Amino acid sequence: MNSQPPPITCDNAEIVHKKGRVLNPKTKLSSTLVLALGNDIMGDDAAALVASGMLKEQFAEDADFNDTMEAGLALMDIMAGYERVLLLDTIITGRHEPGTVLEFSQDDFRKVVGPSPHYMGLPEVIQLADRMSVSFPPVICIIALEIERPVDFAETLSPGIKEAVPRFVQKAAETLRRWKKEGY
Amino acid sequence: MSKRITINPITRLEGHGKIEIFLDDAGDVERAFLQIPELRGFETFCLGRPAEEMARITPRICGVCPTAHHIASTKCLDDLWHVDPPPTAKKLRELVYSAFMCEDHFLHFYFLGGPDFVVGPTAPATERNILGVIAKVGLDIAGQVIAMRRKCRELIETMAGKVIHPVFGLPGGVSKGITEEQRLEFLKTAETAVEFAQFSLNLFNDVVLKNDDYVKLILDDAYAHRTNYMGLVDENNKVNFYDGHVRVVGPDGDEFARFAPRDYTDHFAEHVEPWSYVTFPYLKSKGWKGFVDGPDSGVVRAAPLARCNVADGMATPLAQAAYEKMYETLGGKPAHATLAFHWARLVEALYAAERMKELLEDPEITGTDIRTEPTRTPDEGIGIVEAPRGTLVHHYFTDDNGVLTKVNLIVATNFNAAPIAMSVEKAAKGMIKGGKVNDGLLNMVEMAFRAYDPCHACATHSLPGQMPLVARVYDSTGKTIKELRR
Repeated sequence: MNSQPPPITCDNAEIVHKKGRVLNPKTKLSSTLVLALGNDIMGDDAAALVASGMLKEQFAEDADFNDTMEAGLALMDIMAGYERVLLLDTIITGRHEPGTVLEFSQDDFRKVVGPSPHYMGLPEVIQLADRMSVSFPPVICIIALEIERPVDFAETLSPGIKEAVPRFVQKAAETLRRWKKEGY
Repeated sequence: MSKRITINPITRLEGHGKIEIFLDDAGDVERAFLQIPELRGFETFCLGRPAEEMARITPRICGVCPTAHHIASTKCLDDLWHVDPPPTAKKLRELVYSAFMCEDHFLHFYFLGGPDFVVGPTAPATERNILGVIAKVGLDIAGQVIAMRRKCRELIETMAGKVIHPVFGLPGGVSKGITEEQRLEFLKTAETAVEFAQFSLNLFNDVVLKNDDYVKLILDDAYAHRTNYMGLVDENNKVNFYDGHVRVVGPDGDEFARFAPRDYTDHFAEHVEPWSYVTFPYLKSKGWKGFVDGPDSGVVRAAPLARCNVADGMATPLAQAAYEKMYETLGGKPAHATLAFHWARLVEALYAAERMKELLEDPEITGTDIRTEPTRTPDEGIGIVEAPRGTLVHHYFTDDNGVLTKVNLIVATNFNAAPIAMSVEKAAKGMIKGGKVNDGLLNMVEMAFRAYDPCHACATHSLPGQMPLVARVYDSTGKTIKELRR
């Protein structure tokens, strides 16, 4: 690839270049997906799944919902064919307080570093899809909740993360409302 | 001046790990350690739950091997309730399991182990990944890998539902059978898988075996350990992933033990170290002698090559031919070359594909007698399968009501934990001399554990982002004097 597409963020998603294509935001080419990643028996790792459940109550008519603990190639299969994906996950940057809500675009995850079939991250999935000409969502918005690494098995969230989930949901809901307004 | 080199986190390893290499004053390796952050408390988490839930809970431990845990758990539940599933149920389980093994082995070869050989062990780190493999083998083959994986997954999901939340195995049988229409569809998948496995072995032959440097690397003593080996075998001592007896051979290849899964605890015990949550299983009769190989050591390796080493051959014709060719090149059996695990994985992928085909051509596979209702009181059960990375043991105790009172899971990476530690140290000692450390050499150290495909993450998710590999060299005062970053 000689040139990288312009950065795509959640805010400038009205005009999106993908393989030379300019998408018309008024045209709903395919549906929106809310993809929540997490493990429901790993304590705070399940925060995105909890948030997804709450969002579904409000947006069931506007998007497909998929909760999964899979990674790697499975994500490519799940996301392929959608026009926009709102990806909910937990994150461990160590640079923010647990409970902080963060927002990224796929452009923040472009660099490919040491992929694994088991732990193939979003950067690898995006680049692989691009090379394989897979119909991949041109817009991926990522909302993540900072957590501490869970090391114990548990079916409940820690008090601090439980308290942060409504903020997590609110941030995700803002994106879904904006997309809805734009005709997606 | 002594130096410390840290590789953290290790790339292409399931779960984040760290290798620390300590150099002596001459710049040679004094010691090397592999440290893995482990999750804890799963066994406790399970206590007080109905045992039948285990076949649904354990696949959620690990997003990599959910099917292996599901089937091992299901077999454990059979044993717990003292119930023997009907032949059709056993064949359906083995069909699903073979599809899983096929998918996993292909993925490993092309995307995990592949970069080391297809792209090259000393190639720039930025190319030594799946995209580098694609650049080498072409988009068409990459597309075939992905398509093959999808077809195997479709078979699994048709039979079992979502792979992470399977609803297939039940004590005494399975939840559903297959129709004639499904059989014919799955048969196409199996036939394609056989062809693709043969193609992959040819690719391995062309890319790896025709490269003298790679063959030399595979056979290099830095990547060899004379250990015991273990794996499931059928009644003819052929490799079997789903069922059979556990066979153990010594470093000389002679049979050391052969036993039914029920008797597992008569033969194995677990050693613990204060610096790790990982337990280290060892042969009881040999005892724990530390992180050493040789005829007196109790350390056992469990992996594709280990399975081939313990068996008298493969149960399907094409895989048997590939098996014979492999040992011819490796200089006979048992083979101790850790990097040959990758080759054995492809031989096994061919076996899994052929076995799928065999099962789908068996008239009994569409039978409707798929479950024997359990009627006896549960007490204790052990279920063993061969997971892609090696032997997987589930061991449950319950009260009379089937409520769990004790749980022990021993995954392949438990069996391989001591060998991995030994392999990393030996490779480091063989590769790093006179203080010369670079990215390519460090990757060759990493290759020692990557061959085992160790799996530690247990599906803990964090946002897919960068997985940087940082190698640092410290002097004896703790000051960083060199840093390599990927």
